[in-house]
Amino acid sequence: MVVLESSVAADVTKPKTDNRPARAGWGLVAPALALMVLILLIPIIVAGVLSFTNYSLGNAGFDWIGLKNYERLFTRSTYEKMFVATFTYVVTVVPISVGLGLGAALLVHSLGRIGDIYKTIYFLPVMATLLAMAIAWEFMLHPTIGMVNRTLEMACGTWFEVIPFFAGGCADGFPLWLGDRDYAIWVVCFIGIWQGFGFNMVLFLAGLTSVHRELYHAAEMDGARSGWERFWLVTWPALGPTTVFVVTISCIRAFQVFDTIEAFWPQGGGPNKSAYVMMFAIFEKGIQQNLIGIGSAITMLFLLFVMFLTLIQRWLVERKVHY
Amino acid sequence: MSDLHIASVTKHFGETSVLKGVTLDVKDGEFISLVGPSGCGKSTLLRIIAGLETPTSGTIAIGGAEVTQLRAADRNLSMVFQSYALYPHLTVAENIAVPLQMRQMTALQRLPVLGGILPGARTHKDDIAQAVRHAAEMLEIAALLDRKPGQLSGGQRQRVALGRALVRDPAAFLLDEPLSNLDAKLRVQTRAEIAELHRRLKATFIYVTHDQVEAMTMSDRIAVMMGGEILQCAAPDVIYEDPDDIRVAEFIGSPKINVLPLERNGSALMLFDQVLNSHLSTESPKVMQMGLRPEALQLTQSKPHLTGRVVHLENLGSEVFAQVALDSNGSRVTLRAMPAQRHRLGLGAQVGLSFDLSAAIIFDAGGARLRHVEGAVTCAPEVA
Repeated sequence: MVVLESSVAADVTKPKTDNRPARAGWGLVAPALALMVLILLIPIIVAGVLSFTNYSLGNAGFDWIGLKNYERLFTRSTYEKMFVATFTYVVTVVPISVGLGLGAALLVHSLGRIGDIYKTIYFLPVMATLLAMAIAWEFMLHPTIGMVNRTLEMACGTWFEVIPFFAGGCADGFPLWLGDRDYAIWVVCFIGIWQGFGFNMVLFLAGLTSVHRELYHAAEMDGARSGWERFWLVTWPALGPTTVFVVTISCIRAFQVFDTIEAFWPQGGGPNKSAYVMMFAIFEKGIQQNLIGIGSAITMLFLLFVMFLTLIQRWLVERKVHY
Repeated sequence: MSDLHIASVTKHFGETSVLKGVTLDVKDGEFISLVGPSGCGKSTLLRIIAGLETPTSGTIAIGGAEVTQLRAADRNLSMVFQSYALYPHLTVAENIAVPLQMRQMTALQRLPVLGGILPGARTHKDDIAQAVRHAAEMLEIAALLDRKPGQLSGGQRQRVALGRALVRDPAAFLLDEPLSNLDAKLRVQTRAEIAELHRRLKATFIYVTHDQVEAMTMSDRIAVMMGGEILQCAAPDVIYEDPDDIRVAEFIGSPKINVLPLERNGSALMLFDQVLNSHLSTESPKVMQMGLRPEALQLTQSKPHLTGRVVHLENLGSEVFAQVALDSNGSRVTLRAMPAQRHRLGLGAQVGLSFDLSAAIIFDAGGARLRHVEGAVTCAPEVA
């Protein structure tokens, strides 16, 4: 706009056409543009190009193999497992960590001073390194000497055995957790929720402070008797923008899950590849096995999912949640 | 609609005492203003009446039934908030409909899709839509029903807030400084509209404001609050002409009332060594204060009570306010003069002022009204 106006002014003062202001504009934009192209667009384009080849790092050349990498992604059972694991993780972790985050934020918000203590406690896992935490969890989930199974064993011989899980566990031993393909991905989900909801809580708390207090009073005067009615009438709509943001961030973070799996199963993505998530697949194919082509193809797919989520967020934000 | 009875209500926030025993009776259909400087407890009192705060002690009764322990949602009162507090995600029509939906429909009937197919929901919805339209027409906002609050101007939002309050038939309307966010012109217009609305609805209005002009122009009665107490509750003209307390006299009236020191010397009433009257009872206090409204002072050339120099002039067109620094003690008094007298009121001009002692309002040193002294001095007029 400014550039446009000044160029008009320049035209008035100098009858000869002079595009100096336009050039100055481009000059000012150039550094940012160059950086963006260099570190964002070019790598994405390169990955996109490589996904149609069989390139390996160190090779002098490569062959174009067309859509073969993508075809593999949608036909091989390994990649089917990858999609199942990734979507299981996303579909489980996102709603629960957003829900828990919102619940915790509402509870913490309703407290006074003590709220700060809860806030700190819930936020601790977010600040801690997930890799270190994963090692701690690995110890706790050890089938024989781990704290989890030791604790569960204490329930043997009590009325807890009425519950089929305990009855089975006391008779045949409790789950192997990380070694059991039925449990592995759920353990990863649990750790993802445990680690992530504190972050969501903090975002929701920030959203809650912007809710006008008089709105609650207005709702009360209008006859909203229960906390639930006030939540639907005031809190939830006011948290709309926050919720969209939290859900998007949670989705992207869920798609990016990697360190837990790398810490638990460095050699292969869980028992029977039951926790073989996308990020781990990219790492395994592209870096460990030096199959750049297939690694790039997974990356492109990953990018597509994230892009899709971001577009949905933009659309929602612009249409629905801003009043 | 019913009368409202507030009995010795107190409110403490920790150590600070915000209300110190307020008692007030509001008759059915009355428009009463709670007016006072900020921090006087008027908004807290309104919120206690509404049920949004609980009083530390004392009772509130609406229509003879005690409601002190009843929550706000069950008191059948409507409130207009200073910030209007409209639900930003709902349209104007939906905003106005909220109080009716909350009270007339069950939680199930209010559900977005499922609610519509439940028995009775349809008729309720039609009734509510009808009521909303009626309220909107009354406030001339029918054209705005589909807009969101974010798309409205301050004045329009204010009307929507009023609409939400009057869409149902509450026992009383509570208004918490509803005009303070409007510009001056709109405020004058809305003031008249609210007063007219009150006449039309014949409902009880309790109106909180810090603006004495609003209180004076709209109310049947004004309760002047200061320091957590009601100093005086009376009709606007009584509050203006016959205040009980110097703080009331000083708060109501613009420009502010002039206060001059009086002394009793024997049975003589003295103003700056001048005897105003010599028939005073010797039981009257030695030190007193005299309040004189700007319009009670007149310009005079012969035998002035006060002399001084004009230090500031405000010409409002229809009248002129002049501040005069008195020769006696340097304090300033405000005089209201007619535009015809302007030529005598040049800046720095020496002027003489006189007044009729019957127009003076006399207070003791603490600020309480001394009606018997006024009676004594006006029965035997002997202005020197």
